[in-house]
Amino acid sequence: MNETEKTSQDSQAQERVVAKRVLIDLDRCIECQSCAAACYFSHANMPALSSARSGVALLPVVCRQCKSASCVETCPAEAMIRDENDVVRRRLFRCIGCGSCARACPFGVLPNVPTGVPAGYRSTDRLSGHQIAKCDLCADRDIGDTAVPRCVAACPSGALLFADEHEAPKEHLAVLGGRTTGEHPYKRR
Amino acid sequence: MCEVRVAPSGPDTYRSEYPLQNSGGVCPRGSSLAELLSCRGRIVEPARRVSDRWVPVDLQSACREIIRSAAGKAVTILLDGNVAVEQLTAAAAWCRAWDGASLCLVGAPAEEQMLLGFEGSGAKYLDNDGLSDCDGFVVIGDAFSANPTCASAVFDRRAGEPATPLVVIDAAAGKASKFATHLVALEPGTELGALSAVIRAAGADADVPAAVLAGDDTSVTPSAKVAGAAIAKCRKLGILIAAEYGRCNAWRQIGFLAGRLAEARGGGIAPQTHGANALAAVRLARKLGAVSLASALSSDDTVRVAVGCDVLGMLGLQEPAIPAVAAALPNVTSESAQVVLPVAMAGEIGGTYLSAGARKLRVAPLLPAPAGVPEPAEVVAELARAAGASAPVGAAEALAGEPLGPAEPSAAPAWSDPAPLVLLLGRQAMHAGCGELTAGGSWQAVVQPEAELRISPPDAQAAGIDNLAFVTVRAGANAVRARVRFAPELARGVIVLPEGLPSTRRLVPSSIDPDNDTITATPVAAEVIAGE
Repeated sequence: MNETEKTSQDSQAQERVVAKRVLIDLDRCIECQSCAAACYFSHANMPALSSARSGVALLPVVCRQCKSASCVETCPAEAMIRDENDVVRRRLFRCIGCGSCARACPFGVLPNVPTGVPAGYRSTDRLSGHQIAKCDLCADRDIGDTAVPRCVAACPSGALLFADEHEAPKEHLAVLGGRTTGEHPYKRR
Repeated sequence: MCEVRVAPSGPDTYRSEYPLQNSGGVCPRGSSLAELLSCRGRIVEPARRVSDRWVPVDLQSACREIIRSAAGKAVTILLDGNVAVEQLTAAAAWCRAWDGASLCLVGAPAEEQMLLGFEGSGAKYLDNDGLSDCDGFVVIGDAFSANPTCASAVFDRRAGEPATPLVVIDAAAGKASKFATHLVALEPGTELGALSAVIRAAGADADVPAAVLAGDDTSVTPSAKVAGAAIAKCRKLGILIAAEYGRCNAWRQIGFLAGRLAEARGGGIAPQTHGANALAAVRLARKLGAVSLASALSSDDTVRVAVGCDVLGMLGLQEPAIPAVAAALPNVTSESAQVVLPVAMAGEIGGTYLSAGARKLRVAPLLPAPAGVPEPAEVVAELARAAGASAPVGAAEALAGEPLGPAEPSAAPAWSDPAPLVLLLGRQAMHAGCGELTAGGSWQAVVQPEAELRISPPDAQAAGIDNLAFVTVRAGANAVRARVRFAPELARGVIVLPEGLPSTRRLVPSSIDPDNDTITATPVAAEVIAGE
C-alpha cells in the first residue's frame, strides 16, 4: 500500500461515524441519575456513564462517539476501535488500563482512572478493576431500529434521545457538541 | 407501574433489564430492585435473639414464640399498606378470625393525610396521559424526584406550548424548582399558607371552604400573586404533589385545597407517593376495620408485630417497642426486635394495585420469593394459626362491593399552625421511603456513600464551610455526618438532607398524637458543625 492509499483509508475511517448517538435535551434532564443507575447495573462493575456536577447542574456524561475519535488514535494496545457498526468501543481483553484514551478524550467522558470516576465506581474485581470503562451503546441489545441503549430506555423524563444528530433540528433542538438544548442553552426553562 | 424486568447476572444473582425502547423509564429505585432481590443481606430464615446472637428457628416455632411472649395481650399487626390488595384483604380476614388481634395498614403518615384530603375534595386523579394535555401545572414538594416519570408529561406539554405555566411550591428547592416558570417563595413549614395565597391570587378562593384557607388577602406574597395570576385562566390545571416527610403538619388540608383548586380549574391531581398502592391502602383501611398507626403505636395494651415495613425507621423513632418483625432486609425496626421473620419483598408479590385513583392494575411478580420465604399475608396467617385461628373470616366479603372506590367526602379539616424551622428532608430519586430497601443498593452506596447536605453558599460561607467538605449536622440529641453541596437555589436559613436514610429521619422525629389520631413531623432547628 502506498502512502496516498493509506492516507485515503485513514481519512475514510475518520469520516465513518455511527448513525445514531445518545443526545441530551438539557431542558428535560431532572438530574435523577436513572441513566447512570441503568448503566451501572447492566455493565457489572464497569459503568461507562456517570453524572458530573457542573456549577449547580448534575448532568450525565455520555460518550459522543466522535467522528475523529482521539481515544482510538491514542490507544497503544489497539483496544479502542471503531467496530463494524461504526461504534467506538473498547475491546475488553486488549485494554491494559494505561489511561491514554482518558487523557486524549477532549470531552472528559472517559474516566481518568480505571473503571469509572474516582468517587467510588472503581471495581474491586481483579480484571475489570484495571481497565477503562467505555460506552459501547449497549452492544448486546441489537441497537438500531428495534432497541435503544439502556440509559435512554431508563430515562424517565425523556431527556436522553437516541437519534441522528441531523434530525435534532426537526424537533427544534440545537446540537452543541452532541448535546441538545432548547431555546436557552444555559438556562433551564 | 415500572417497566423494569429481571435478568440473571450470575448463578444466583439478578440484575435489572430494561425495555428495548423507552416506554416510560425506570428510576434508580427500579434499577436496584433486582439486585436487592438476591442480595447477600436478605433475611431468608426466621431467627430469635438469644443474648447478642441470632438463633435460627423454623417459622411455626417463631410464630408460637411471638404469641407466647404476648402473654394474653392483644396483638396489633402493622402491615405494609403498599402491598397488593389481595395481601391486604387476606391479612384482614385472618386478623378477623384471630381473637384479640387488630390490623393496621402502614403508610407514610404525611402521604396518608394528603390522600385523605384528596379523597375528601372529590377531585379527579390524573395519570401521565391526563397530565400531558393540562394547560398549567402546580407542583407541591419535589414531585419530580418522588416519581421522575411524572416529569415527562409536564415536559411533553411544554415542548408544544412553551408558555405553559409551572408553579412550584417547595421550600427545599428540589428538582422541579429548576424548571419552574413561577417559584413561590415560602418559609419552611408554611406550604399551606403558600398554597392558600396562590389560590387567592388565582381567584379560586370562592371554590374552597374559607375555614381551610390559611391567612387572608394580606398574606398573599408577591411571588404567590404572580403565580396565581399565571394559573388563573387555566382550563385544565394539573397538580402534582409529593407529601414530603417532615415538612409540615397540614398535609390533609393541603391535599384538600389542592383537590378543590384542581376541580375549580377543570383539572385533576397526581399524587406521587412512595408506595405503589398507597391510595388503595387508604381506601381499604376503613372498609377492612384497620386501626390507625397513631393508635397502634400509642396503645400500651398491645404487642406490635411489623410485617414488611420499617415503622421506626420511617418515623425517625426508637420507640415504642416492636418485639417481632417480618422483614426482607435488616432495618431499624428489626435491629431492636426479639424475633425476626423473613417476608417477600416488592417484585416478588403479584396482585392488584391501584393506579391514578381508579385504574386497577394486575401485576405479576418479577421473581418468586426465595424458598421458605412467605408473602406478608402468609406471615399473618401463620401467626393467626399459632394463636388458635383455624380459617380466615370474610375475605370474600371484604373484596365485594367495590372496596377500592373513593372514600366518602370528609369535612374540611381545621387549619393548625406549623412550626417554621430550618432543617428539611428532601426526596431523592435514588431512595424509596426511609431507605429500608434502597439504602442497601450497591449503586446508592457508591454514588452517595454519605448523606448530602444542601446549603446556600452564603450560609456555608458564614459557617466557614467549603463545598464538598464533610460536616456534622446536629438536631436535638441526634447527629449525622454529611457531605456539603452548595445549592444557590436554596433560600438562606434552610438546609436540606435526603429523607431516604434512617439516620437523617432520626433528626426530624415524628410525634404521635393519639388524641387527634395523627402522626406528624415538622422542620426542626439544626446546627451544622464543620469537620467530622
